Amino acid sequence: MIRKSLAVLSLAVVAPLASAQSVSMCVFDVIGANGDVYNLVKDYALEMKAHGVDFELKPYTDEGVAVGDFNAGQCDAVAATDIRIRPFNRFTGSISAVGALPTYDDLQTLLATLAQPKAASLMKENGYEVLGIVPAGAGYLFVNDRTIDTAGELAGKRVATLDYQKDAIHMVNYVKATVVPSDITNFAGKFNNGSVDTAYSPAFAYEALELYKGIGDKGGIVDYPLAQLTVQIVARDEVLEDELAQKSREVAWGFYPQAMRLIASQEKAIPDAQWIRIPDKDIIGYQEMFRENRLEMRDGLNGAPDVYSPKMLNLLSKIRCASNPGASECTADNRE
Amino acid sequence: MTFSGPSPANRSSGRLCVIFAASLVFLLTGCSVNPIYQTTGIVLSNYSESEATPYVLQMSDPQMACALGEGVDPLLYSFSRVVDAPDSSGSLLMLLAGNCMEYRAWNAELDYLRAEYNGNVPAAKDAREVSKRLHARTAERRYEAYQRAMAAYDFDPAAEPMECPGFFTDQDELTFLLGLLTGMQAIVNDANSGAQAGVPRNIAARAERAVHCVDNEKWGGLPNAIRALVWLLIPDTRPELSQDPWGVLEDSAELGLKSGFRASHAVQVVAAETFGRPDVLASTVASFAEADEQIEVRDDYRLVDQVARNVVTFSSDKHWTAHYGHRTPSGFFGKMSAERDTSNVETMSLDGLL
Repeated sequence: MIRKSLAVLSLAVVAPLASAQSVSMCVFDVIGANGDVYNLVKDYALEMKAHGVDFELKPYTDEGVAVGDFNAGQCDAVAATDIRIRPFNRFTGSISAVGALPTYDDLQTLLATLAQPKAASLMKENGYEVLGIVPAGAGYLFVNDRTIDTAGELAGKRVATLDYQKDAIHMVNYVKATVVPSDITNFAGKFNNGSVDTAYSPAFAYEALELYKGIGDKGGIVDYPLAQLTVQIVARDEVLEDELAQKSREVAWGFYPQAMRLIASQEKAIPDAQWIRIPDKDIIGYQEMFRENRLEMRDGLNGAPDVYSPKMLNLLSKIRCASNPGASECTADNRE
Repeated sequence: MTFSGPSPANRSSGRLCVIFAASLVFLLTGCSVNPIYQTTGIVLSNYSESEATPYVLQMSDPQMACALGEGVDPLLYSFSRVVDAPDSSGSLLMLLAGNCMEYRAWNAELDYLRAEYNGNVPAAKDAREVSKRLHARTAERRYEAYQRAMAAYDFDPAAEPMECPGFFTDQDELTFLLGLLTGMQAIVNDANSGAQAGVPRNIAARAERAVHCVDNEKWGGLPNAIRALVWLLIPDTRPELSQDPWGVLEDSAELGLKSGFRASHAVQVVAAETFGRPDVLASTVASFAEADEQIEVRDDYRLVDQVARNVVTFSSDKHWTAHYGHRTPSGFFGKMSAERDTSNVETMSLDGLL
């Protein structure tokens, strides 16, 4: 009897280890395994181990290769920016819709909403499931001339534009600027050596990629979030059971404060004098400009690419109107 | 024999001499600080640079050297209150103090990996948290060491165009080079701490430029290894038509072997881990271990080789702990698994004995 009890006990001790499900994940971080995102994902993976999932992480410094390896079946999951995630889930891939989340408070509301069990069905598309979303920082416009402080001033300017980001290409064309196709590894060099006039990026790049060199004495950073970049973890649908997938999203949401502390420190590293403040009246105009473009990119109108999810745009609109009920868009006929 | 004191005339001239000397010291040193402190500061600073540093660089015990850094740095650098800051020695002492803190962080990291291997999540989380805190402290020390090294040679890493400092001795050149490497390490430590230390990430790009100021051949390929690491981190910094960074790292490691210290191997190992190249990690650890049989470690820089050994050993230990739950077993340094090739080992028949 005692022997039997001991056997049961030892099984119970071994059980968590033995039943741990192994999941390989390709993780994109511009500076690989010693990067901030990779370290955040390590924390997430450790937390998930308590729920019986054993993630094996592999660092990638090229996001395209990370997603390519995921597509080729070399990893069960991938952690990448939402622009690359769009093909797997248009709904969450539309979080970075242009100008759709003007504040981090709005972003917090959105991510808390999406972490709820009720949102689970929206996390699945085309045989893939989103397992978590963490913020990576707002994208700002870096300019080499402070007089480029209105959309009109962008006309004729050269903009380093990610060549796989259809909505950004559309926006650059919309303001009659010139698209200079770029990628994450070379946009900073182009801005710093003057081969483009403007570039857009989260605050992270200001110091790490020395964007202050491109800003020089005359330039600055437009203090208005063009988009909210997030890092999303996506897996093939069958990798995790629904209940575990939901737990994973809740775990990822738990890292929101840690991610925001990182972003805050990156934005704080930018000297105050570098920011170009935009008058409130101009901001109202830009919000409408972005909104109209989002509608076009939702419906594929006027030559715009059809890239945004109507459901996500609708949710983002609700969040904006909850935090700013007086905005004209909240009573517009063509609300998102 | 009777003792007779100095005559009144001699006494008077002796007093004059003392007053003159005291006035001279007073004039030379100002009146706000005890002149003895200043003299001591100058003597200590000069002694550290001319005698203690070469002695420490010849040591083969990194732990003892790092303890020296932790123990002596506050004393030596406190003299920056009374004389010019001893930035050259101060940079090396703080570098050693950073190594001490990193060794503790490494142990915590191995605890984390071991607990994770054993499926003990609370213990793993606790060890990871300890490791993050220690990495943050390491990053702070290393950032300080980097800043002191730049200050020691009046070098402004942000200046454009860059102006290389003048080095009077090889030790100056090495101190500057190690300062740049320490700045790079500070970034890695900060990232591993969850960015608690707030080390500026532009150190990497600046180090890539500043490392041109030192001789690559003389320093065992370490300058080019640093450049190659930055090229991998920030591809924009890589000059057109330059060699593939992994090739540069390989050549640098080779040059390190010829020069008698394997610091470039340590950079290569960090690159392999950072960019997910287990093949390079395995071959670098193997190459480092194999070199033990051939290398003639340069006496003057024995400590540099030993510190590099610690970095490579830790990488090996991390691999072993993650895969087998324990550090690299003795006799297995250079290998990434416990498998042995026994195909050619002869065995005897047991027929007749059974």
